Amino acid sequence: MIDRRPNHRTRLRSGAAIALVMVLALVAAACSGNRSTAKPSTTSPSGSTGPTTSSTIIDTSACPAGSETTGVTGNTITIGTSVAQSGTYAPFSAILDGESAYIDYTNAKGGVTIAGKQYQIKLVAKDDAYVASRTVTNVQSLLTDDKVFALLNVVGTKNNLAIRDLVNRECVPDLFAASGATQWGNHQFPWLIGSELVPYPLEVKRFVDYLKQTKPNATIALLKADDDFGQSYADTLTQLIKGTQLKIVKTEQYDSTGSEVKTQVNALANTHADVFFLGATLLACPAALTAASDAGWHPITYMSGTCVSKVLFSIAGPPANGVFSVTPLLDPADAKNDATPAMKLYKTQVAKYKPKADLLDGIVGYGWTTGALLVKTLESAKAADRFSVMEAARTLHDVSGVGLQIPAAKWNTSADDWFVGETFQFIQYDQAAGHTNAVGGGLTNDDGKTAKLTPGDLINRK
Amino acid sequence: MANQQRIIRLTVTVVVVAVVIEFLGWYFPTHYGSTDTNLFAQAMFIGVAAMGLNLLTGYNGQVSIGHGAFFGIGAYITALMMDHHYDLLGIKIDHVSFLATIPAVAVISFVIGALVGFPALRVKGLYLALVTLGLAVIFPDLASRFVKGTGGTSLVALNGQEVAAPQWFQNWFPRLSAQDQWAYTMAFVFALLGLLLLWLLVRSRFGRSLIAVRDHEAAAASVGINLARTKVLAFALSAMYAGIAGSLSVLVFQNASGDDKLVTFQLSIEFLVAVVIGGTATVLGPVIGGFAVVYIQKWATDQFPSKPVVSPATFGIVLIVLMYVLPEGVVGGIRRLRTWGSRTLRSRRRSTASPARL
Repeated sequence: MIDRRPNHRTRLRSGAAIALVMVLALVAAACSGNRSTAKPSTTSPSGSTGPTTSSTIIDTSACPAGSETTGVTGNTITIGTSVAQSGTYAPFSAILDGESAYIDYTNAKGGVTIAGKQYQIKLVAKDDAYVASRTVTNVQSLLTDDKVFALLNVVGTKNNLAIRDLVNRECVPDLFAASGATQWGNHQFPWLIGSELVPYPLEVKRFVDYLKQTKPNATIALLKADDDFGQSYADTLTQLIKGTQLKIVKTEQYDSTGSEVKTQVNALANTHADVFFLGATLLACPAALTAASDAGWHPITYMSGTCVSKVLFSIAGPPANGVFSVTPLLDPADAKNDATPAMKLYKTQVAKYKPKADLLDGIVGYGWTTGALLVKTLESAKAADRFSVMEAARTLHDVSGVGLQIPAAKWNTSADDWFVGETFQFIQYDQAAGHTNAVGGGLTNDDGKTAKLTPGDLINRK
Repeated sequence: MANQQRIIRLTVTVVVVAVVIEFLGWYFPTHYGSTDTNLFAQAMFIGVAAMGLNLLTGYNGQVSIGHGAFFGIGAYITALMMDHHYDLLGIKIDHVSFLATIPAVAVISFVIGALVGFPALRVKGLYLALVTLGLAVIFPDLASRFVKGTGGTSLVALNGQEVAAPQWFQNWFPRLSAQDQWAYTMAFVFALLGLLLLWLLVRSRFGRSLIAVRDHEAAAASVGINLARTKVLAFALSAMYAGIAGSLSVLVFQNASGDDKLVTFQLSIEFLVAVVIGGTATVLGPVIGGFAVVYIQKWATDQFPSKPVVSPATFGIVLIVLMYVLPEGVVGGIRRLRTWGSRTLRSRRRSTASPARL
């Protein structure tokens, strides 16, 4: 028989176990509540006392207290970004090459000077694969873990819309969002500003003006992405052709999580419209150009300024010949520009700091320019705090010579003008030469006009 | 004598549970920063979803790779109810609080789970896995068709006030009033409730019929178990767990989204991985698995940023290694260790007690 009595040893064991457990409980209780980190401000949005400094543009009364200089430690400023580095939209990671090259170049010169003090810039980049929910997670992590001072050039309309409320609540500058969406004109969200990308309504207006002159009764077939990026183009195009003889004969949308557009383009090609308008981005652009050509359709084609890249043009090949678009920048693929000092600097420095980057890719050039715009903005800030930097970004005055900015162009922002890249060049791609050419006269200067050209509900939609 | 032993065992259990609750419920969120607290909360809600999947797969033998969809449904119901106001049959639903969305989520995901459970009666094993895989794959498309959120995508983003701890909670637990602490506390409380329900379920008549159906359908039917009802109920309960896990994720991520096809699919796999790592057909296993999944993922993204393939690859490697080393998962392993320990102890005791018998 097995002895069922709890012998001495078992009782001892249970006793010891209870004791151990109690000790643990005591230890746990004794050191409870020592959380070192400050509580996030989100809990008491009303109770916090923000800095009293305020301007007509940015109201800081609801900002969390004590976070004005988060991300500035010693002589380092930490900047964060979230860009697609994997998946269908991975080619956007070329922006990072340009940005980091400019930041490395600036740091090597001694850094950026804000109010007489020099700072080194540190860039923390996270991958969101162009998925809005991942952008939110990335930005939350950039703010709480990496304690960044500001965000730079987060890519995508939906992605920036998804974090807009967060940056606005935390009063973190979301500088130069890589999107020309109209929503960046919404005055409820002063902490987000768009980049030098041409605002989409201005793109559309420039092309509509061109059509009015060359083919006033053209029929238009529209391909758009199924998100707000594509919708921006569709809405402004519809608005701007009102009262003209131009007519949209068919609209097709594609799944923006991929770049599969063949079915949609075939449907559009069947209309034999005079004009093909691409409210699409990245790989969908060359895919659409090729599909149209395969379908034997050779319309006047306009494609979003976000597709202006040597890489994308070369994917499309011959079908890209003659495509219209706009750009705020010099084309690094055009040898004519190599003589300008801006292009010389770009090519030597990017080759030095990012030897693997494709110097001729407009996307790298865009990143370089955005980096330069960041430095320019930081230098014009009155102090190294979030409010001053955001205010500086909102009051750019006749900014020129930034990165690859077109030499004669000037960028302005003010209390009434919330858009940066309103001076730009209408361009056409020349497949044989391998670069774009300026067409339709000189620069288009629509400075301060975006808000007027855009229907209000487009700017203020969520 | 046996009574005395039972009392001791009960005391030990109560004390251990109390300490674990104090440790996880109070020490964790008050000692760690918001980053860690968020990770713990993620582990908890993955654990909750894995508990549900474990009920279905571990106890009832029905494999599902589609629980990401139920999770998504739960997340959307909560996020939409917290974000928008509706008129439903004359009843005004206006920016409801998080806790008030839970009953709705529980009921709806239970019903949808049952609906999916009916066709699942016809297929088994790999075929069922494929059917449910379809569910996970189709969910993002359905979401983007019916949910119009931020930026024209199916993302429903909530603002800080909507996901903040309610006033009564802040008054009761002022030291747990930060947003991440509130999210964690909710995840923890629902993980506890989930555990309790699971523990009661598997000990009930229903729990035994689940196992009987898994082990031998014909035998189970012959002793009077209603096969269809048992299987559909298992599916529905399991979907309810996944739905509530989805609701909890809204508090942690402050949004619900189906815009990422990979995520819905990957989530379904993660639940399964959590079940296997923790131990199939165990009560505590899924929670342990939840922690394992979250930390493996964190390790992979920290070590290999912008290489999204590393974390699923690591899951694969862990699973393969586990099949060799701990085929019954962590909890199974501990159990094995315990029986081995008590066996050696008993044999040693016996050998000292009666050396003559040798």
